[in-house]
Amino acid sequence: MATVSIDKLSKHYAGGSEPAVKAVSLTVADGEFMVLLGPSGCGKSSVLRMIAGLEPITSGTVAIDGRPMNQVPAKDRDIAMVFQSYALYPHMTVHANLAFGLRRRRVPGAEIDRRVRGVAEKLGLTPFLVRKPHALSGGQRQRVALGRAIVRDPKVFLFDEPLSNLDAALRVSTRNELIKQQHELGTTTIYVTHDQVEAMTMGDRICIMNKGEVVQIGKPLEVYRNPADAFVARFLGNPPMNLLPARLEVAGDRVVARFADLALDLPGYALPALKPHVGGAVTLGIRPEDLYEAPPPGMATRTQPIETRVVAVEPLGAETLLMLTIGDSGPEIIARIGRDTGLRSGGGASIAVDPQALHLFDPTTTKAIPRTA
Amino acid sequence: MRLWLNHLRRTPLVLFLILYTIVAGGPFLWVMSMSLRTTPEIFDNPYALPVKLHWEKFANAWFNSNYGTYFWNSIIVVVAAVALLTLIGAMAAHCLARYRFRGSRLVRFVILSGMILPPQLLILSLFQILLDYGLYNSLFGLIIVYVASQLAMTVYILEGFFAQLPQDLFDAARMDGYADFEIFWRITLPIGIPAIFTTVTLNFIILWNEYLYAVVLLTDDDKRTLPLGIMHFMGGHQLDVGMIATGLMIAIAPVILLYALFSETMIKGMTAGAVR
Amino acid sequence: MAESAAPPRARFVAWLAGGSIADSRQAPMRTILLFLAPALIVYAAFTIYPVLRTFYNSVHTIGPRNAQTFVGLDNFTALLTQDRVFWKAVVNTSIFTVVGTIGDVLGGLLLALCLFAKVPLARTLRVVWFTPVLMSYVVVGIIWVWLYDYDWGLVNLLLGWLGLESWQQSWLGDPATALWALVVTHLWKWLGFNMIIFLAALHALPEEVLGAAELDNCGWFAKLFHIIIPMLRPTLVNLLVLSFIGKMMMFDLVWIMTGGGPLWSTETVSTYVYKRAFNWNTFDLGYPSAIAVLWFIMILLFVMLITRLLRSRDRLEF
Repeated sequence: MATVSIDKLSKHYAGGSEPAVKAVSLTVADGEFMVLLGPSGCGKSSVLRMIAGLEPITSGTVAIDGRPMNQVPAKDRDIAMVFQSYALYPHMTVHANLAFGLRRRRVPGAEIDRRVRGVAEKLGLTPFLVRKPHALSGGQRQRVALGRAIVRDPKVFLFDEPLSNLDAALRVSTRNELIKQQHELGTTTIYVTHDQVEAMTMGDRICIMNKGEVVQIGKPLEVYRNPADAFVARFLGNPPMNLLPARLEVAGDRVVARFADLALDLPGYALPALKPHVGGAVTLGIRPEDLYEAPPPGMATRTQPIETRVVAVEPLGAETLLMLTIGDSGPEIIARIGRDTGLRSGGGASIAVDPQALHLFDPTTTKAIPRTA
Repeated sequence: MRLWLNHLRRTPLVLFLILYTIVAGGPFLWVMSMSLRTTPEIFDNPYALPVKLHWEKFANAWFNSNYGTYFWNSIIVVVAAVALLTLIGAMAAHCLARYRFRGSRLVRFVILSGMILPPQLLILSLFQILLDYGLYNSLFGLIIVYVASQLAMTVYILEGFFAQLPQDLFDAARMDGYADFEIFWRITLPIGIPAIFTTVTLNFIILWNEYLYAVVLLTDDDKRTLPLGIMHFMGGHQLDVGMIATGLMIAIAPVILLYALFSETMIKGMTAGAVR
Repeated sequence: MAESAAPPRARFVAWLAGGSIADSRQAPMRTILLFLAPALIVYAAFTIYPVLRTFYNSVHTIGPRNAQTFVGLDNFTALLTQDRVFWKAVVNTSIFTVVGTIGDVLGGLLLALCLFAKVPLARTLRVVWFTPVLMSYVVVGIIWVWLYDYDWGLVNLLLGWLGLESWQQSWLGDPATALWALVVTHLWKWLGFNMIIFLAALHALPEEVLGAAELDNCGWFAKLFHIIIPMLRPTLVNLLVLSFIGKMMMFDLVWIMTGGGPLWSTETVSTYVYKRAFNWNTFDLGYPSAIAVLWFIMILLFVMLITRLLRSRDRLEF
């Protein structure tokens, strides 16, 4: 159990034109499950490896429980890591794989045996203890990798995209298994992934990274509801948020967002926040689930209609996705509606939008304009 | 401070690296230097650099000591053997890799087991056989023997490579109407060039340096290959270190030249038989 | 009617070319033979037949002008019971092989590890270290004969500079040291070969497993011992076998440097075969053939033994 804090951590690979990691700062509280989320190449794995000590740090500090770790070799940091490829020792049995780290640390034999058997029991690996990795399935290997980390009882767990090599069904069950284990053990965990579903379901907090920098840190739902910029807005949520160019104008005593021939109210924003952008361009964001075929009960007075043309209808079974154009030939947006719909491709549709759920972003900096809600 | 300690720990390693590099490469530089010095100069100071570069020694060796003949014999034998090996080896390898037929496993086993046959098991009988067929003491006889001796290794390497080519490629060619030999000629060979390169390199080096078969099967001086020629010269002029060194350079030069140009290919080629 | 009208030559060519068959894994037997024939003919005539003939020779006495006398297993019994030179050669070859193989493989691994440790100029060093492998034994042998020379050879010269005059000797002329001198030369030639192969194998090791080992409290030595060497096991066994076979058959180096002397101290089985066949006062190809056969069987047995003992039973999948 420990806190991990990173301060202005940077990494520059030889031969690279840009630093892979730029001044990342982050604090993970004791027992917290922190997810580093971002697209491939955003630097999240590099950050993880620097925390582990497997990658030399270019500048900045890594501290565990307040102790700076920059000069401490990986083996002395009391960290356990689960690799994407599991990295099991192919020439050792499962038992030996689990015991190896303990043996290297001169833990007495009886204790090793007790711990290994305990962890094997917990993860359902007892029948496999004498097998070698090549005789195990992907899911079983993953559990051995997890077991190897658990048996060490370290201060921090590090996970580097551990689920990406599993098939979809296995991924879901293993995800739940991981959450359960982490809650039971209460070990501080840093988890790297590019899958937003994993991030949303597993993290106590998520840290979104892009191009080597931290973009936003916060609780999953908070980040989802209040993305710090357009990148985060589109990264979380499937289908991604619709982003449209619009203009802020004064209409009477209100400020409205004008696009196509519509003027949408902005009840989620306070006037002072909007003032600098009035008269200029903004990027308007609407999540697909905030577009309705018919206004839900209770929202009828709030919503405003948008005239669209239906390009495609995709029934997914539990819901339906609509590909729409604003007006007849305007920008394309996606709406997510219920499973029963009479809309057909080629026809027109009046879609209701909830202005409370509108997001605004500065078109040049892509940063979100702060909301009050 | 820490950085300095790290350097200190690495110093024995660096020293060892330098030492071994001198040990590995030094002797050749020495031979190169000796090849350009006269024998009296060498005996005076064996390890000094040449004061005057005696290029005429090479001409001397080439024309007067028959090294020219030896060189051409080596070229003829090795080039012919390698060409033949590549062609018939590739054909056999393609066949074994692509086609399923009764007895293919047996054929593969028989050919590949040739890799562990010691030359001693073969030379005495080959001696008799070549004598019987009038191929003794002929370059042609040596060429055929060389082809046979390297066939197993060549087929092994090429078959391994050809077998990895995706079958879809050949199915597509078949549907396009190509006949079997055309497929071999137009698809397997062009795509297989990397592997063919490695076997050509391997065979070239091994046969260029080959001694045992040559010394048993050739006797005339004007048929000798370079290794034989050098040994023959050694026999008669053991003390003429300078000229021997020149002869050695003539033997090494083509190899070093190719190595300087194609070091990666050659390294890969020479180790191809052993990498699993 | 149109068929028989086609000229025979065209029909023959069409027959050779083979028809198109839907399954490209099958081909008519004539096509297969076309591909295999040249290789098989050469191989059968110049490899298989000679081997069989050697076996045949080994149970005969083959005199001049092909005078053959069947002697049954006499050659073998004489070899095993009366031939002291043969046994000396066996001992020499065995020492050469065992010491040389272990030195070869361990040395190659050591060099590879040196280059694996992110050393500057690793690529250049690799190229230089590999050079001896490319040279003929004639070149290598002659150079080392000069290096071992008592008067002006570099070995004795260096010993002198280091103040170790008492260690200077006639390396190739003293029966006690000649064989070891040959071992050193042989190592010098082949270390680079094993190094390259080990280096490739080291680079093929999955980095994440090495990272996991580091997190599991392994310093560089523990990593080497517990992780790297066990994972290199297939490569190790292969190279051991390859090296072993090569040294058991060694002829060129010995012949060129010492000719088997002094006093049979460097006589190997292969040089002995050559001598019995071509440098003996009685011309008999039967006896040396028997030596070759016996030796081949011994090599085979050893290889099977080593492979069985050392090969790991499970596949190392990674």
